Amino acid sequence: MRKGKLRDLSFFLSPMVLMVFLFYLIPLVMTVYISMTRMRNWNVDRYLTEFVGLYNYERLFYMFQHDPTFKAVILTTVVFVGITLIINVFGGLALALATFFIDEKPASSYRLLWLLPRMSPIAVYSLVWYYFFHGSEIGTLNSILMSLGIISEPIPWGQVTPWGAWSVIIFVNGLVGVSFGMIVFTSALNQIPRELVIAARVDGASSWQISRRILIPMIKWHLLYVLTWQFLSLLTTYPHLFLLVQWDLVNRDYGTTLALYVFNTAFGRGEQDQGLAAAAAVILSIIGILGGFVTLKVLKFEKMMKKPRGDF
Amino acid sequence: MRDVETRPKRYERLIILALLLASLPLILGFSLLVLSSLSTEMITNLDPSSFHLTLENWINLFQGRIATTGGIRVNIWRITLNTLIVALGVAGVVTGISTLAGYSLSRIDFRGRKTMMVLLLVLHAFPGVALIVGVYLLYRLTFPQNYEVVGLYSFAYVILARAALEIPMSIWLMKGFFDTIPWEFEWSGIIDGASRITVWRKIMLPLIKPGILAVALFAFLAGWQDIIYVRTFLVYPTLATFIEANIEAEYSHMPLIAAAGTFYLLPTIIFFITAQQLLLQGYSGGIKG
Repeated sequence: MRKGKLRDLSFFLSPMVLMVFLFYLIPLVMTVYISMTRMRNWNVDRYLTEFVGLYNYERLFYMFQHDPTFKAVILTTVVFVGITLIINVFGGLALALATFFIDEKPASSYRLLWLLPRMSPIAVYSLVWYYFFHGSEIGTLNSILMSLGIISEPIPWGQVTPWGAWSVIIFVNGLVGVSFGMIVFTSALNQIPRELVIAARVDGASSWQISRRILIPMIKWHLLYVLTWQFLSLLTTYPHLFLLVQWDLVNRDYGTTLALYVFNTAFGRGEQDQGLAAAAAVILSIIGILGGFVTLKVLKFEKMMKKPRGDF
Repeated sequence: MRDVETRPKRYERLIILALLLASLPLILGFSLLVLSSLSTEMITNLDPSSFHLTLENWINLFQGRIATTGGIRVNIWRITLNTLIVALGVAGVVTGISTLAGYSLSRIDFRGRKTMMVLLLVLHAFPGVALIVGVYLLYRLTFPQNYEVVGLYSFAYVILARAALEIPMSIWLMKGFFDTIPWEFEWSGIIDGASRITVWRKIMLPLIKPGILAVALFAFLAGWQDIIYVRTFLVYPTLATFIEANIEAEYSHMPLIAAAGTFYLLPTIIFFITAQQLLLQGYSGGIKG
């Protein structure tokens, strides 16, 4: 490598390398290390050097077998990721298709509207749903259903376990994820040659037939992409659930996914057990990294990376 | 240009109506919040009689009187300033780093370039929660002894740590923007004897202004809306932690919290109206959900 090139590269890349090193690599090593200590209540002075090996992992495994709270968390994670993923992918697809078949003006307004959950500050977004699903008669959903005469007593939605709590967290997080699928699918649909749609229309095909036979098969790659990507995201995101649990809108056990469990165990109220949290975090990371590489392989991302043209 | 002109019009209204129905909870939730901020009591049960138009909540909010009774006061402008510092900081750090790295990944051929890009993608998929325990330990270990610099340190740390989460995707976005610029611009500069750094600064940066704007906008919103990082690292309150703390507090007057929420939502709404195209395009780059 020529000297000038090395200088250029370090100029362009060193800030990024530094950030990755400081905020990804070091913390990762530290998390693995903490998972092998008895760290609690962030008492760094006392516990940082108290090495206990795989003790925390054994505890996790034991809890997985015997602790009903932890079992609820695992079950919630599985149900939450599974159902929200379906809602995200098919909701996004439905929105993209629906806005594909209507005029541009209403279409883009709807697309913007559905970006709102993702764009609005998490605290505001949670506040909105806090009142919507509130368990007393001040809750919007309760008052609508009561005035329609469907229910006579307010239902504490998030405290009905397990499905009440699950429905709330799936609904709230599902709305955030839908926009991702919607945008990806919309841009994919826009790249499909118009001639195909025109030809089908001339032949008398309905919108439904066009979607099923032409549009959806042509965006298969994007479906796969959104599916795997959202899977990874759902497995590891928790900010949108954090306040719902914090404010007791949803049941603590059945509203907590493994990612939120890690955060609350490390930073939450009451007993803080960072050793245990770190062990759970390491397990999540292993799943995340494996999933990330599977995504890359399945989607053949490397093919998308062309060499820069005419670099010398 | 969406579907072709030959499509039957009669279904169009049906689709629009179905979409409206599906969007109803969303519209309802957000409009009730905004309405409540202008009312003497919270409007959550669709009862029009609970709505009495008043600006009191907003006035009290800006004066920092968060309870109708008692003297509990906060300086809401200071809290807003804290939120703004974090958001602008994150935007600055992310934009700077991704403009630099995005250029080299798009234009310079070097060994390990492909690996670096794959790694960035994997990092983006990497669970933030797995990091936060380690990031916090680093925070604790480097925590200054000197009491006076604690505030500064916590601002700097929260900005860098939050920015780190946005960097992988922003670099990919930025690389995409650089990719769209024809090589001829660059060649002309290099033939004239300019170094890559000069070319980047003098030729490329002016050309990708829209890209820089998009990346900065997303980074700003990411920093602006964050609750987890500011709550974990920042020693000062932000609008997010203000709302978080007050929803359970006995003394808080809820319509005022609704006003705070609406106030917190304002930048989002402003960007919504002014930068629609940018938002829809930028998000197709992909952001976690």
